[in-house]
Amino acid sequence: MLHRALIMLLGFALVLAFPAVPVLAHSGEGYGGGFIAGFTHPILGWDHIAAMVAVGLWGAFMGAPAIWILPIVFPLVMAFGAVAGIVGIPLPAVETGIALSAVVLGLMIVFAIRPRIWLAAVIVGAFAIFHGYAHGTELPTTVNAFAYAVGFVISTGLLHLIGIAFGLLVKWPAGRVAVRGAGGLISLAGIAFLTGTA
Amino acid sequence: MSRKQVWWLVWLAMLVAAGPAHAHSPVPGIEGFYIGLLHPFSTPSQALLMIGLGLLVGSFDVDRARWHLGAFLAVTFIGILAGGGFEALDATMFAAAFLAGALAALVPGKLLPITIVLVIVAGFQIGAASIPDPGPTRDRVITMTGSMVGANVGLVYILGTVLFVRERYPWRWVEIALRVMAAWLGAISLLMFALRFARVDESF
Repeated sequence: MLHRALIMLLGFALVLAFPAVPVLAHSGEGYGGGFIAGFTHPILGWDHIAAMVAVGLWGAFMGAPAIWILPIVFPLVMAFGAVAGIVGIPLPAVETGIALSAVVLGLMIVFAIRPRIWLAAVIVGAFAIFHGYAHGTELPTTVNAFAYAVGFVISTGLLHLIGIAFGLLVKWPAGRVAVRGAGGLISLAGIAFLTGTA
Repeated sequence: MSRKQVWWLVWLAMLVAAGPAHAHSPVPGIEGFYIGLLHPFSTPSQALLMIGLGLLVGSFDVDRARWHLGAFLAVTFIGILAGGGFEALDATMFAAAFLAGALAALVPGKLLPITIVLVIVAGFQIGAASIPDPGPTRDRVITMTGSMVGANVGLVYILGTVLFVRERYPWRWVEIALRVMAAWLGAISLLMFALRFARVDESF
């Protein structure tokens, strides 16, 4: 029975190989280009990656409800930062704020600090402004603004998800050490960004 | 590998191999209806608003849905009769989509009066944005009818999907996923609103 099914599947695959449609290549413009530009923007910056993963890690470390409140608060507040960047409201020390976010959030994880949820949301939200501002200042120059916005919001969310997934290791004693160690690495990376050595 | 799994693979393979569709109108003269049908999802502002409304209204109990849907039906009709001026509406629809996303993310299933007001405002905007360009009255009526059907059936399906997922999979993480999705939608809408406000990019 199983062999027959597999043969059928192979037969289908063979049949499907014949009606091949032409490849419609594109030059990276339009929606596709905008999405990729937006999606890769947080990923290609180590400072963004460190902070985004730290948000997820810290949320997972604190447990419910922080595990999901922080990743909800971050994109909403980040959007306000992006708005400030788009409309040209001056914000001082943006890069410093981004680097500091990695330092502070990393330290929160290292020292297993569990503040009240509103305070954690305020801390994360404050740093989200800087990250959003950086994204916002680059947004208007892209090919398609909508696709860019979709790309960078999803990318940011996925980085949080990576942090949360790794942070779930705190259930085990060894995992707890690993997560706190990761917080230390993020914090050190933040210091490197802050001092300009990375 | 079980037979069921093999059928899933076959189905997946056929899905991946899908070629371009060559659709045509089965009834001559009714093309405008199809244009209208898709219109509520044809621009980012309208699509975000429709999905945001679905997520927001879907965060309430199923019993509330008929009131939201009834209100939406009435105001889209009023909007189609009284509205106009898509350019101005585009920015306000992004703003409404942000509010819908933010409410669905931060306070799902709460603040019913605000939600009803938002449904009314959003329904009017969707209706008002669905008025076609000047032309023969018959064609315009057909297109607007399509828009009415598209907007209302679209909301029913989005809302239905959200309610179905919540009921069928009553797991904590499903609710969280819906809230995260709403937060993302709200963030995107706010950015687009700012861009419209700043008028720095006209390409979208």
